[in-house]
Amino acid sequence: MHRIEVDAEMDLLEENKRLAEANRKLLKEKGVVTINVMGAIGSGKTLLIEKTIDALKNYRIGAILGDVIAKDDYERIARHGVKAMPLNTGKECHLDAHLVHHALEKFDLDGIDVLFIENVGNLICPVDFDLGEDYRVVMVSVTEGDDVIGKHPEIFRLADVIIINKVALADAVEADVDKMFEDAKRLNPRAKVIKMDLKKGIGFDEWMEWLTCVLQSRER
Amino acid sequence: MSFAQAILDTVMKVAEQKNAKKINAVYIAVGNLLMLNPEQLKFCFDVITKGTIAENAKLEVEVVKAKIKCTCCGKEFEEYIGICDECGGILSVEGGKEMILKRVEMEV
Repeated sequence: MHRIEVDAEMDLLEENKRLAEANRKLLKEKGVVTINVMGAIGSGKTLLIEKTIDALKNYRIGAILGDVIAKDDYERIARHGVKAMPLNTGKECHLDAHLVHHALEKFDLDGIDVLFIENVGNLICPVDFDLGEDYRVVMVSVTEGDDVIGKHPEIFRLADVIIINKVALADAVEADVDKMFEDAKRLNPRAKVIKMDLKKGIGFDEWMEWLTCVLQSRER
Repeated sequence: MSFAQAILDTVMKVAEQKNAKKINAVYIAVGNLLMLNPEQLKFCFDVITKGTIAENAKLEVEVVKAKIKCTCCGKEFEEYIGICDECGGILSVEGGKEMILKRVEMEV
């Protein structure tokens, strides 16, 4: 045996990029608008998808629900009568393009206009794994503390929509919603930032306006 | 853990091409915006290489900084803060997201 050194200069993230592009191409061919829903645990991701399914009458929705081991989110969504699939990561704290690629092999995309992919609840790990989505929605709630946006700049910098949920609870948890809104705008001036309270119906129209606009622009 | 797996998968491909018997060291460059802690990455790499020819290989991590500057006045920043604290311009970010395998030392 003898020792050698190999200069490699290889992209270690190449595989995820390649699969994300393959996913994106497939979804585009099928005419599906894909939204990666990211956010903290308990911020309201699943409820946002549920309410959107009920409100979006003229479009057909599909959903892939990422979670470490549980199927609760999948069961909640499936009750609304849409095509849905659970996607368990086993031990990983985020979805990646490879997992989604396999899910899409089994998911019947025919007749789907919009696909929600709910990521694992986490504001750090999902950031660097492109799944092949068209848009990224990042959701937080005031109960996570009003510094939560400023503490996680990367996920908000790369978001298309930033939702600050549970604003009706802000006084009870002494959270400054305006500070959160300003942090979001500062980190990402081009993002749509929405103050929301899903259970009270606040801000939901603004979300639907954005989503409808995106879906209509795809049709043109 | 998935980053460590990506490193191992790529290193094993290189090792196969060279018919390596053992991997001694792996050198990588990681963008700082991937927010990876090199010590954690090394720990994951140690765990994941157990039972492979890369067991006990040294993982050397070089952190490469993103170029963050104001698109208006050009002031450079160490960290992304969104809006320039001098002129209020929007900051641009270049790089910081890469993960490159630079070099592998092995025995053949």
